[in-house]
Amino acid sequence: MADTSSETFTLVITGAPYSSQAPQTALGFARAATDAGHRIARVFLYGDGVHLASALCTPPSDETHWPKEWASFLEHHGIPGIACIASALRRGLVNEAERKRYALPGSNLLHPFEIAGLGEWVEGRRTSARTLYFHAGG
Amino acid sequence: MSTLIMIDQASYGTWSGREALDMAFSLAAFDQPASLLFTGAGVTWLKRAQDTAGIAQKSVEKNLSAAPIFGIEAILADRSACQKYGLDETSLITGVTLVDANRTLLDQYDHTAFAG
Repeated sequence: MADTSSETFTLVITGAPYSSQAPQTALGFARAATDAGHRIARVFLYGDGVHLASALCTPPSDETHWPKEWASFLEHHGIPGIACIASALRRGLVNEAERKRYALPGSNLLHPFEIAGLGEWVEGRRTSARTLYFHAGG
Repeated sequence: MSTLIMIDQASYGTWSGREALDMAFSLAAFDQPASLLFTGAGVTWLKRAQDTAGIAQKSVEKNLSAAPIFGIEAILADRSACQKYGLDETSLITGVTLVDANRTLLDQYDHTAFAG
């Protein structure tokens, strides 16, 4: 008999969309896991993975818009999507608070992603059965 | 829950090692036991007396010197990778323990992670 017990996962994405496969592989896993009755506690974007939360990504119209796909998945399931603040600021991803703090010309964080510290990753792995990492490879 | 953060990328030319170090420091800051393992090209992090003036980067040796302050339990280096990169005990920074990065070592940790 198949094991139907549910697990809680934290996902960490460190590969950027359009230069790595990491975001779509992670989304494939996340969809399969939620379909099977498991729970994604949170998704943490680290390193180049923070580019997934950019509202300025504009792929050609015949390509999948991975930031929007992820945003819609997170919103539908009520899953927090968090971009590491240190990774984000270095790579030009800012929310309104950081825009004001650093007097920048604009902000570009895609809803419902949030910006927070590595403590969110620490908390995610503490409270989840498993933490899975999706790297760029190469 | 003890965690082994692995760094297998060279000390300069990529940022993922620095972000792995931040992960380890963050665990330690939240009182989660964490150790660092340098393998492959990552052992170049551990070379003593790095001079980075020519590449306009901060020395990773300085970053790493904060490890004991944050409460990192151990800084481990894979013995065979050190040999490959011409590093012995005299050319490594202080506080490094040489180990064989094999399954027996990894089994001692509940959780392992790379930054990228």
